[in-house]
Amino acid sequence: MADTTQMLKGILDGCLLSIIKDGEIYGYELAARLESYGFTSFSEGTIYPLLLRMQKEGLVSATLRKSTAGPKRKYYSLTEKGEGELVSFIKRWEQLSFSVNNVLDKRGM
Amino acid sequence: MLTKESEQFLIELRMHLISKGKNDKEINEITDELEDHLLQAEAEGKDVTHIIGESPKQYMKSIGESMKTDYRQMIGLVPLMILLLAAYFSLAPAIEGKFSLSGGMIMVASIGSVVGVLIYAVLLFKVLPGYIQSKKGYLLMFGTMLLVTGLGVAVLFWYNAQDFQPVFTATPLQNNLILAACIVIFIAAAIYTKTWFTIIIPLFLSLGPIAGRFIPEDVNEDPTLILYTIILLVVISAIAIFLLIRKKKKQKQPTV
Repeated sequence: MADTTQMLKGILDGCLLSIIKDGEIYGYELAARLESYGFTSFSEGTIYPLLLRMQKEGLVSATLRKSTAGPKRKYYSLTEKGEGELVSFIKRWEQLSFSVNNVLDKRGM
Repeated sequence: MLTKESEQFLIELRMHLISKGKNDKEINEITDELEDHLLQAEAEGKDVTHIIGESPKQYMKSIGESMKTDYRQMIGLVPLMILLLAAYFSLAPAIEGKFSLSGGMIMVASIGSVVGVLIYAVLLFKVLPGYIQSKKGYLLMFGTMLLVTGLGVAVLFWYNAQDFQPVFTATPLQNNLILAACIVIFIAAAIYTKTWFTIIIPLFLSLGPIAGRFIPEDVNEDPTLILYTIILLVVISAIAIFLLIRKKKKQKQPTV
């Protein structure tokens, strides 16, 4: 699993931004959405250090809302800067996946 | 209801972040967020390791590294430590009504506070959080108490032999004020760290002095009073045990 974790670094950031773009969301829901897309091998808590960092960098903003049960919930939404970062992530990813696929396809032939 | 493992993790995380000098508000936010996450995950039958990974230490570190360090607040932590330590030193004499200061005492106290802050910081942030849920924690606390008491007695013997002149002797009113200040400091520290250590330890420490202040000397020779005391102690411990068992039973029931 450690290898996947290494590969995930940086990619997970973009995925989080993309999910948050769909609308305000809190941590647990975010982890559940990631899992539903097939990210099952990572520990859910991994998203929190990333969210903290993205908040510090001004890519996402957070508001506290009352929840039906337990403590107040922190909802994340995308800032303008975050939207810009998402666009550039998508570009980088497309370029990267294109190149990687190219390499693997040619070797497979 | 959180499992012991999760609760343990949240306490360790909080202590780790405080000791790394992170901002209070941010510490509260991230621990609340993780508590919320753990509650929901456990309600769905997931294991803690599924959330925090195989190495909680590593995970705590990665959270700490993602938060900025609040140096101004960290500087504020040092006075709190010194105040706490001063409160520990003053507690017993204030309860006994014998609080006084002398040149020698101030010297001993300032050396003691430097050493004490170090020991106390290690104990509070590094050692105790790891044992809070286990019997080892109580043994450790008891051992530390014995050690501190032993050291205290040794210093006291040395101190009495030096024949220092007190420069300040507290009146009964001042003694009570000092005692009140100590209690405020202990409670403030407990609220700040969200743990019970700084209330439980002083409680243990003050049992002896309280007995010394409120029980008259000639009690020791009166057998009926001794009998009453024993009966009282038995009744109090019985009530305490009863409450403890009831609390445990309540915890086992699932909360809706």
